[in-house]
Amino acid sequence: MKDLILRNRYTLLIVTLVVYMSVLVAEGMVTGREVRAIEFENPYFDMNFNELEKFRERRSNDDDDDIRARFDDAGDV
Amino acid sequence: MDKFAVLQFYGLLKREVLEHKNLFIGAPTVVALLILVATTWVATQIDQNQLAEGLRYVSILFDGLSPFDMAPFFMLVAIPFYLTLYVCSVIYLINTLYQDRKEMSILFWQSMPVSNFQTVLSKIVAIVLVAPIFYVLIIFAMYLIAMVWLTILGISNDVDLVGIGWMFLAAIASLVLIYISAFVTSLWLLPSIGWLLLFSAFAKKTPLLWAGGVFILVGFLEDFVFGTQYLANWVASRTSDPNQYLIFEFQSVFERIFNYDTLFGIVVGSILIAGAVFMRRFTD
Repeated sequence: MKDLILRNRYTLLIVTLVVYMSVLVAEGMVTGREVRAIEFENPYFDMNFNELEKFRERRSNDDDDDIRARFDDAGDV
Repeated sequence: MDKFAVLQFYGLLKREVLEHKNLFIGAPTVVALLILVATTWVATQIDQNQLAEGLRYVSILFDGLSPFDMAPFFMLVAIPFYLTLYVCSVIYLINTLYQDRKEMSILFWQSMPVSNFQTVLSKIVAIVLVAPIFYVLIIFAMYLIAMVWLTILGISNDVDLVGIGWMFLAAIASLVLIYISAFVTSLWLLPSIGWLLLFSAFAKKTPLLWAGGVFILVGFLEDFVFGTQYLANWVASRTSDPNQYLIFEFQSVFERIFNYDTLFGIVVGSILIAGAVFMRRFTD
């Protein structure tokens, strides 16, 4: 096992990154870590990066509705 | 730890300082000079009466107040030094192990009675504990010059600088805060330190590109393989708020060091640092 990990620099890098990612993912799953989105407070406008995700979902739903509506309008082909 | 090991480690630290004088001493000196020149220029642009009034106000502001309570005021002056320290640290960490292999001095150091672990540890200690000492000493020199200059200005404008002693004490107390803050920030960012050292030891060319490129790639891989974004979430949660690691009062030092996030960061950073130590085996 040790020989395999230390065979060359690439195997060592991959093993290190796998261990690193595994620890992070395991810890994230256990603690249910969520991103602390950046909120930029100022007197001129509101900006919250959490809202971008909602916007994307809403946009995606709207697009689906548009496609469905266009398909219905086309009738039988 | 025996005396020989301490001397060995001292020698390694001395080597780091001597080889990187520009990052440890040159860069903060330039920043201090720029701040002094800018302040002098601003003072020459202000009307003499307004300047005298400003001096009187600043002097009264600090008079009789606890230096430890007023120390955070001086943290603002330290911001350019913090930024310089971060930039210099990134340059240092990404180049240090790479440079050893590039100029083949790694062969010399590996023939010496020092282990790879000691060498990598000396580089971490140099950036976490030693570099902030130089920065704090240079800020102290800047404060001394500024205090002498303020006193001369006060005397020449016939202003009674009653609180200048208190101001100087607050400035001295702030130096302790600045050092502790730099140390806590380094512990908080230990995963970043480990990441940069790992790729400094790994890359045959352009280590910074490798470090940045693999970081992005690993984020995408996690999304593809596990369908999660814990890596991105983790990085975002550690970088979005400087209040997590900057210290503005002495009471919060203990809780900043001994909290779950900092300790978990030290564990993750240690994995990457261990990778960098083992990577030193490959000298080509």
